[in-house]
Amino acid sequence: MQFKPLVTLTAVLLTFMVSTVGSVFADETCMSPYMAKIAGQEDYVYVWTLGAEGVGDEQDKLVTIDVNPKSENYGTIINSLSVGGRNEAHHSGFTDDRKYLWAGGLDSNKIFVFDVHTDPAKPTLSNTIEDFVSASGGVVGPHTTYALPNRMLVTGLSNNQDHGGRTGLVEYTNSGEFIKTNWMPTDDNLQGAEKSGSYADGFGYDVRALPRRNVLVTSSFTGWNNYMMDLGKLMGDAEAMKHFGNTVVIWDLHTRQPKKILDVPGAPLELRCAWKKENNFCYTTTALTSEIWIIYEDENQEWQAKSVAKIGDASKIPLPVDISIAADDSLLWVNTWNDGQTRVFDLSDPFAPEEVYTKRIGEQVNMLSQSWDGKRVYYTSSLLGNWDKKTAPDGEDLQYFKAFNWTDGELQEQFAIDFLAENLGLPHQMRFGAHALYQ
Amino acid sequence: MLCINRLLNSFLSCVRAVKALTQKPFVFFLGVLISSGVFGHEGNKHDGADESLPAAALPVLAPGYEALTFTAPIAGSYTLSHVGTAASGDVIDSSGEQLQLEDLMAGRVSVLSFIYRACNDVNGCPLATYVMHQLRAQLEEHGGLSERVRLISMSFDPVNDTAAAMDAYKQSFQDSSIDWRFVTAPSIEALEPILEAYDQPLSKTALDDDTVSINHMLRVFLIDANGSIRNVYSANLLHAETLFNDVLTLDQEERQGQNTEVPEPTQSVKSSTEYVTIDRREGYSEGSYSSSSTSLVQGSTAVDLLKLAKDNALGLPNVSDSAALTKEKVELGRQLFYERRLSINDTFSCAMCHVPQQAFTSNELTTSVGVEGRTVKRNAPTILNVKYAKRLFHDARESRLDQQIWSPLLAHNEMANPSVGYVLEKVMAIPEYAQQFDSVYGAPATMHTLGDALAAYQNVLVTGNSPFDQWYYGQQQDAVSATAKLGYELFSGKASCAVCHTVDSQSALFSDYQLHNTGIGYANSMSKPEPHKVTLAPGVVVTVDPASYAAASEKRPNDLGYYEVTLQPSDRWKFKTPSLRNVALTAPYMHNGSIATLEEVVDFYAQGGIENPELSPLIRPLSLNETEKAALVEFMRSLTGESVVQLMNDGMAAPIGDTRALQ
Repeated sequence: MQFKPLVTLTAVLLTFMVSTVGSVFADETCMSPYMAKIAGQEDYVYVWTLGAEGVGDEQDKLVTIDVNPKSENYGTIINSLSVGGRNEAHHSGFTDDRKYLWAGGLDSNKIFVFDVHTDPAKPTLSNTIEDFVSASGGVVGPHTTYALPNRMLVTGLSNNQDHGGRTGLVEYTNSGEFIKTNWMPTDDNLQGAEKSGSYADGFGYDVRALPRRNVLVTSSFTGWNNYMMDLGKLMGDAEAMKHFGNTVVIWDLHTRQPKKILDVPGAPLELRCAWKKENNFCYTTTALTSEIWIIYEDENQEWQAKSVAKIGDASKIPLPVDISIAADDSLLWVNTWNDGQTRVFDLSDPFAPEEVYTKRIGEQVNMLSQSWDGKRVYYTSSLLGNWDKKTAPDGEDLQYFKAFNWTDGELQEQFAIDFLAENLGLPHQMRFGAHALYQ
Repeated sequence: MLCINRLLNSFLSCVRAVKALTQKPFVFFLGVLISSGVFGHEGNKHDGADESLPAAALPVLAPGYEALTFTAPIAGSYTLSHVGTAASGDVIDSSGEQLQLEDLMAGRVSVLSFIYRACNDVNGCPLATYVMHQLRAQLEEHGGLSERVRLISMSFDPVNDTAAAMDAYKQSFQDSSIDWRFVTAPSIEALEPILEAYDQPLSKTALDDDTVSINHMLRVFLIDANGSIRNVYSANLLHAETLFNDVLTLDQEERQGQNTEVPEPTQSVKSSTEYVTIDRREGYSEGSYSSSSTSLVQGSTAVDLLKLAKDNALGLPNVSDSAALTKEKVELGRQLFYERRLSINDTFSCAMCHVPQQAFTSNELTTSVGVEGRTVKRNAPTILNVKYAKRLFHDARESRLDQQIWSPLLAHNEMANPSVGYVLEKVMAIPEYAQQFDSVYGAPATMHTLGDALAAYQNVLVTGNSPFDQWYYGQQQDAVSATAKLGYELFSGKASCAVCHTVDSQSALFSDYQLHNTGIGYANSMSKPEPHKVTLAPGVVVTVDPASYAAASEKRPNDLGYYEVTLQPSDRWKFKTPSLRNVALTAPYMHNGSIATLEEVVDFYAQGGIENPELSPLIRPLSLNETEKAALVEFMRSLTGESVVQLMNDGMAAPIGDTRALQ
């Protein structure tokens, strides 16, 4: 897996190292607004991949795929870096200077910090943060690693007292020093927040910032017990099924104080905020109840939550997972993991998303990442180590990375990589790399 | 001067506005802004750029140039955390005086930015300088801060930005009572460690016009009077209004006489008897469910476990301990019980299934989950009063607590350690444990001493003196209700519960520690997957066909109970009678957690269990009316030990071992 330097640099950066204002531009798969973005052709996709027993070296790894059509290595794996152990590799995110990629393990609670700037084609493991649980005071399950200026916000999913869903939002410096833990508000300690509905569960999952409104938004999933266990066992465990999150919390971004707890029942997961400055709203989807919710600021500057669309038939457990909002806030992409479908919703009316395109990507589909210009969309299959499908019918892709072009309202597959056949594991989150970021 | 704010709505209007001004600072800004390459930002040009992309368009001005789009949080209404230590180093003031950077920051709230005079990025150094200029005006207007606040702009470019050059630069700003220092380093060598400490690596790019661009990411640092960095701002975050309030927040903190940051609000220390319930989510399937979640940080208090055990023995048998319990042994065992490093990947302690706050069982799972989420086929039994259990595990395969520990420690689907030796060596590699084993046992951790220590802790997790005990053994007639007394009458009489859940004349464990087939295990093994109700959210219950998630499901593990120990067909699906002490706190029930409430348990027995060839003859339909059923439940609720809350809170107060201390 040798990397050959590109002849030409084809990445264009919307914002450069000396000029990092990019909040009016597109999401490039939902990055922090505090970060330089790749505006043109990305060179690489880094895939944070779960090791699996019986597959290759069985360890979690960061897999680098060359996705630049002008490269002679286009469509191939050019690097694979194993980190040791199965950590329940899940999400990853760059620091605001985009030099390092923080990748969390939901089980081991380790955060692997990869240097992606020295040689973007060949990330190296720069640091492993092992004090997440002890330093945070008991937060378990580092999930979203989200860039704020010179610091990383790390959402937790669980805790080390009971492996349930109560958790916190942890802050580290870019250099990996613990700063503080912001506990999610609970009924007995709302921390000044308003409990606007019936729930204040204290659960966590994703986080996104809307700097123009000084707002931070968090969602809520479930604790270690549930995200680590076999999905079939979970579905049959009536006790466990009671322990999912039902809240979205609005925080003061500047002070990280919780302000309002909104009822969003049924495990709201990914959060994506609109980019246009007049669009003061974010979307989330509920994994269990299978709905799109809008989290919006009303005319009285009050934050509200509203269910605005159904995604398939909830009783069939479609499990909406990753979502992505288009650069111009015109489309919302939603993957439903269980049926392997990617669905595109038209947002002409933000309060009435309409499903306008559906395509089956594979036997299961989890993450999607679109280029900021919306021309390219990438997919991976894995959801959680013990939730993933164990088998697929002949001819169906089970664990894969797939690259598509999105042209004239149609997805056209460019190439696919079978992560089981390549002895890699279960591919999860994707982040983009480009040489031009570091010129 | 304030009109500049309103005029700077766009970059072009900014240029026009600046042109119209004559004051020195704005002449400076004019120079900076024009030289920033607004009509073709150099930094955004790259070979092969896609011309269709607006990358070469006008740079978007940072928020710091615009009016704040939200109301800034009120100064002093929040705290700013320590995010690092402000480094020092050799610097030269614009007057030519050699100083240490720390001298400039000592005793004052400081705002530090790195700039260079030739910087041509409108959202780089000019932004920092512009915001600091605005900040200075606000600070001056506020008044009284001249001795407590200082602004510092330090150059990246000691070669070109000499002290004299910085002095000239300084002169472009009007005088103010708020001190603003413009400093540079005596040399590149002196500068580099400072930049490294502030994570401002220096690299240069030669531009087409033979000038040099210093690549950096804009950072402005807020530093308190003690040299602690309290906030860091980038181009997207930097705004005079929020920065002003942050400065005031630190100033207020200083004036309140606190030498360090305001401590985070802490939880009040809970009394050891205060019951901290977790939201059990009762009624969750109903739309009317409302959460009652409690904080993780409870400030629970530890108790004297040996004394507590001794004081709460009413109703419990008098069992001598195999080895003398000492405070030190109990404390060592307590530490080990909460020690996550006792698992292969440092994620799992005994307490992850035997959760203290959940009565040392797991209320949130029907059957347990082990390392890496591996399936455990049985419900975690409470270890309260396990000291008295004559046989251990649901299938009664073990008899001694000090031996029992090796089953979960080594089970692949529990703590997954590869060997006894591995566990012992790992424990001994942690200095705190090596020292404690030596002082408590005069020996290292061995199969015996590790088991003994863990057993010591479990041996004090005993709690009698329940309302039932106080009534039945203590002769306090009002200790339980008349309904509970009726329940006991049924329990020991008509309903025949006490045949297995035995009650003796001097004590009661409510278990014969024998094995019985109630049909639950049989049904689990022999039934086929059927569509079933699943609660997706409060009030949202759907019927789900298991086929819809079959591909994501492992094969359901079988469980033949005692048969797995004896291999006798007659022992199929037999499980040990559990004690009923503290049963009100230990839901869900049965060996597989398949029954959620005590009411349903009574219903199950009232209907005679589940018919199967090995069904215990003791299980038979009972003709109980609703009043009698309710009385049985009321009786079982009277079996909660007096000290159980103290034991739970003590467990919550225990240190949780994890990887930080493991080198």
